[in-house]
Amino acid sequence: MYSQHSHIGLALLACLTSAPWAHAADTVDSLLQAADRYRSGPGKLQVDTQVTVFNRDGSPDKERRYTVFVQEQQRSLVLMRSPAEHGQKVLMLGDDFWLLLPGSQRPVRITPSQKLLGDASTGDIATMSWSQDYGGTVVGEEPCGDTPGTCLRLSLQAQRKGVTYQHIELWIGKTRKEPVKADLYVQSEKLAKQAIFLMDNAKAPTQVTDMVLRDRLSNHKETRVRYVSRQTRAVPDAWLNPMFLARNPSLE
Amino acid sequence: MHRTHVSHRWWARVAGAALLMASAHVHAAEFSGQWRLTHQAIDTNPQGPLAAAHALRSDLIDLPAAGTSVVEAELQAHWRFLQANVLLTSTTPHGMATHTQAQVQELFANADAGDWQFSIGRKVVSWDVGYGFRPNDVVQQETRRTLLAVTPQGRPLLQAETFDADTATSIVWVNPQSHQDAPPTLSGDEAALAVRWYQRSGARDDHLFARWGQHTRASLGAAVAWVATDELELHASARWSQRHLTWQPTGTAPAENPWHIGMGGSATQWLVGAHWTGAQQQGLMVEWWHDGTAMADRDWDHWRQRNTALQQAAAQPGLPDALRSGLAGQLAWQTTPLGGSSLRRNNVFVRASWQYEAWQLAWDTLYMPADHGQIGTVSAQWQADQWRLTLAWRRLGGPQQALTSALPSRHTWLFAAVWAF
Repeated sequence: MYSQHSHIGLALLACLTSAPWAHAADTVDSLLQAADRYRSGPGKLQVDTQVTVFNRDGSPDKERRYTVFVQEQQRSLVLMRSPAEHGQKVLMLGDDFWLLLPGSQRPVRITPSQKLLGDASTGDIATMSWSQDYGGTVVGEEPCGDTPGTCLRLSLQAQRKGVTYQHIELWIGKTRKEPVKADLYVQSEKLAKQAIFLMDNAKAPTQVTDMVLRDRLSNHKETRVRYVSRQTRAVPDAWLNPMFLARNPSLE
Repeated sequence: MHRTHVSHRWWARVAGAALLMASAHVHAAEFSGQWRLTHQAIDTNPQGPLAAAHALRSDLIDLPAAGTSVVEAELQAHWRFLQANVLLTSTTPHGMATHTQAQVQELFANADAGDWQFSIGRKVVSWDVGYGFRPNDVVQQETRRTLLAVTPQGRPLLQAETFDADTATSIVWVNPQSHQDAPPTLSGDEAALAVRWYQRSGARDDHLFARWGQHTRASLGAAVAWVATDELELHASARWSQRHLTWQPTGTAPAENPWHIGMGGSATQWLVGAHWTGAQQQGLMVEWWHDGTAMADRDWDHWRQRNTALQQAAAQPGLPDALRSGLAGQLAWQTTPLGGSSLRRNNVFVRASWQYEAWQLAWDTLYMPADHGQIGTVSAQWQADQWRLTLAWRRLGGPQQALTSALPSRHTWLFAAVWAF
């Protein structure tokens, strides 16, 4: 019996190691890079985002607009564009964060906990890449759920402390590697949000148009993050200096 | 005062011209703003020098208005290299006529030249790392711990800044138009040259400051903010000044305010603080500071002795009207030094807050160990898409000998409705 089990185990191991997604970390990296291409595309970006929060009964709660400059080396600058938050800015340089409130013209250091942990945190909006921040393993193949087809399930752990979610369970399409859904866990290993990614074309997807976040921790509201536009945009290094937040350069 | 009015008219004309220019290119300009409706109600203090003065000659000495309603429109425009912020205010104190005014909060132009960026005009330039007290906020010198946070009025200045990835240098010539021989009534109003150097060192921000004021001469400062853990931020700031402005009882004429701003010697100011934020958006801030520019305890003792002497003199029967008026005026003027940014030199500030969805609740207290005076505030704020409602209550407490017990008001309530567009 022991010998039979050992043979079955060896056979399974052989199958696993020969599966295209079962190699070492490089395979996970390449899968994440492939999935990232549907969210951010290559290079430095300016992303205009519209965030709509819905109550439990489906009625709209609030709407926010953001312009995000995503640069290499985990550097992002978020400009709040809605009337309620106009003038607010958040700068994220790796694990370091600064906030500028309108009127004060004084950038202040904030802790990772002070990042917006509300319906759509700054991290949800400003983070457009998993491959730079996460490593992990391929758990296996699973049905995608509400979306037809087969998915690869990836279990990801943060590789730096400044990310909003320390653990992500990510499902990507087996064929095209497009992101389908994700379970997002905070540091205490509590499920904070569930994300669903909507593509521009179901049969031949090229990019994510919407990310729907369902809160599972507190208010159980639904947040729809719509990527209104993406364009290549490299901003000067000076814009990513915390003290530069007090200046207000023209974005044209 | 005449100079101030002329200056305001000039700024208003420049602001109008700038907004007209911007409106001609409205497709390229960014506009935003907010309407604010605020009502502030005050419970006057039945004790203290102002109450004693009012009791003596209520026809001459007024207590603070029981309530004041204010309607404000703040308009901001950004067009290419120009930025403007104009505030239109209509104020109605309880039982009094409405007063309206237009004020330019900011109006400045930006320009780049190589690695340097320049600004000229009226602009808010805020420095330093503290919340309740900022010794190195040497340009704007913003009023702290207000019941409602609004954009302060910027100062006339010329600014040059240069940035790279991790460092920044700012040079500011503030109030370049001020060439008064007499010391200003506020230290922020004097002409001064200020420099800030900043460096980011991983989880720590380092700042160095230097300032040369026309009257207050040299000052040097340093500040640091450090994110020690995911939840905890620590900060500290210190400044040494060669001279400082302080209230001094120099006047002797019976019909004049004896309190004048005078020049004090060297002074030190420092602050240490910690800010903890939990995952549920609950926050706790503790700050402890020393403000060497505030009046010393012995000076307050003299102030209190003068209060007592004036009240004892006023209590004598059969005083002639002229003497009663003079004593009432002197008692009312005793409130003059109570208007400084710090009452006592040593202060402890604690603030607890909690944000849950659209609500933010906060409680804070400023404690002065020298006389156990306290200023406590409770506030609730609700933020919707464009509306923000604020309700706040401030109580000035402490024993009878505390300076907070001598202030003209005891309780202040504030309601504010803000609509942003």
